[in-house]
Amino acid sequence: MRRSPVAGAALLCLTGAFLILWTFPILWGLLTSLKPELEVLAYPPTLFFSPTLGNYRDVLLGATTILPNLISSLIIATAATVLSMLFAIPAAYALARLKLPAGRGAGFYILATQMLPPVGLIIPYYLVLQRAGLLDSYPGIILIYLTFSLPFAIWLLVSYFEDIPREMEEAALIDRAGRLRAFLYVVLPQVRGGIAVTSIFVFLNAWNEFLFAVVLGGNNVRPVTVAMFNFVSVEQTLWGKLAAAAMIAMAPVILLGLLAQRHIVKGLTAGAMKGGGRG
Amino acid sequence: MANRTAAIAAGERAFALSLFLPAFLVLVLITTFPLVYLVWTSLNRIDLAMPWNSGFAGAENYARMFDDPRFWHALELTLIYTSVTVILQVLIGLGLALLVSRIPVGQGLLRVAVIVPIVLAPVVVGLFWRTLVLAPDFGIVDFVTRALGFGSHNWLGDPQLALISVIAIHTWQWTPFVFLVLLASLAALPIEIFEAARLDRASAWQRFWHITLPLIRPAIVIVIIMRMMIALSAFAAIFAATGGGPGTATEILNLYVYRTSFDALNFGYGAALGVVLLVITLGVSFILFRLRRSR
Repeated sequence: MRRSPVAGAALLCLTGAFLILWTFPILWGLLTSLKPELEVLAYPPTLFFSPTLGNYRDVLLGATTILPNLISSLIIATAATVLSMLFAIPAAYALARLKLPAGRGAGFYILATQMLPPVGLIIPYYLVLQRAGLLDSYPGIILIYLTFSLPFAIWLLVSYFEDIPREMEEAALIDRAGRLRAFLYVVLPQVRGGIAVTSIFVFLNAWNEFLFAVVLGGNNVRPVTVAMFNFVSVEQTLWGKLAAAAMIAMAPVILLGLLAQRHIVKGLTAGAMKGGGRG
Repeated sequence: MANRTAAIAAGERAFALSLFLPAFLVLVLITTFPLVYLVWTSLNRIDLAMPWNSGFAGAENYARMFDDPRFWHALELTLIYTSVTVILQVLIGLGLALLVSRIPVGQGLLRVAVIVPIVLAPVVVGLFWRTLVLAPDFGIVDFVTRALGFGSHNWLGDPQLALISVIAIHTWQWTPFVFLVLLASLAALPIEIFEAARLDRASAWQRFWHITLPLIRPAIVIVIIMRMMIALSAFAAIFAATGGGPGTATEILNLYVYRTSFDALNFGYGAALGVVLLVITLGVSFILFRLRRSR
């Protein structure tokens, strides 16, 4: 390398600047969540203060507890993940490996469903669930969550099914029982990692969803993304509590994101690297 | 023998169909059927503020758009928001990926750190920026501008600043996406080509323009397509930060559809706006895919 040390140092500084740009707001939120309410609004902002867990106690156990909302989020995201995987795993295998009739068209259909704008579809969802009496109910919301999690799961899983070597299953593909056995006992064990990664991303997206939750939910079903608004109103912002609630809501997704870190590029571009190459 | 092969092939097709059909039927039920219902709703008068007026309306909701300045304003904002955020993300993300791909230290750290904005809920990001980052007097940005002598600003309350702010929020959250994808495709390039070019005394700029850029162009095109799709469906962060306001200053088409349907409770007109949004999204993706294939 012929680069000068000055250029190298400049590069490092620039990298550091971006590192701060992307982490500072979160770290600032963490600091704020540990401050007593009086300290939060001090100007200039204080860096050193005696930290308190009071905000966390308030948002978990106080009058404005978000505990039910966390449970709500957990139920919805878990159910949406399990259901998505149940439908997506066989479908992805059929798309990736088997001679599916009209396979190209089928792949393109799934890609196209991913492009429908949620804000448009929310209107029929609302009207239909209202008529069916399923507004503010878990079955209603979980079913609607499949609209974004199922196509995503199928496309991400297709890429994992395509990665495994073909030879092993071929011998078993003679009859129906053989095919099913090959799928369950030969193919599935090889995509365990892919299934885990896909589940993580599906869970993450469901946990973070807001539009469907705010429109189709209500007093019974109010996930944490909606409950965050408890702490912000036109009149006042409860800074410390908002920050603490945000930290609690963020913690699982940050952990899962870091866990699936090495797969994130694949997860982000699910289906797109082929760009409907099948369709 | 041929018979047997054909039977096996037919068996495989039936097996494939039985695996695929459940997911397909679910998707038809929850995406295609609602889509048809959306179009049907858009042809009706369904205004909960005037329930006695309900009924088939034909193209009335669509005709109304031509005389609706708020619709044209939302369309213009959608165009600005989408193009500016995508351009900023790609320029910053690509630049940073190029720089970082050349340093050995700190690359891993940055790669892990940028995952955080990506995995956060846009609605939480919007609330975070509305309060901790952009609130006048108490936010980080105001603290910095005051310290630098630019004074305090109402970042989300001033119509022009608000548009810039929501663009900044989206760019902050999603530039890491572009950065990570392009960094991965840079890392996958064969190093020999660059060694050869270096021996030929090609300048850094020449190497970028004639080697790197053509090689990663497919990745850039894919990233642009994906980011446009996401920007066109942006909702939660703007909803949380400004709610589309002040007034209609940040009311992109998504927000207008939402406000028409769920604030004004005019589902018929909201659905018609939703159909327009759908046509735009599908049109843009169709054009982009065509462009991509023709290369």
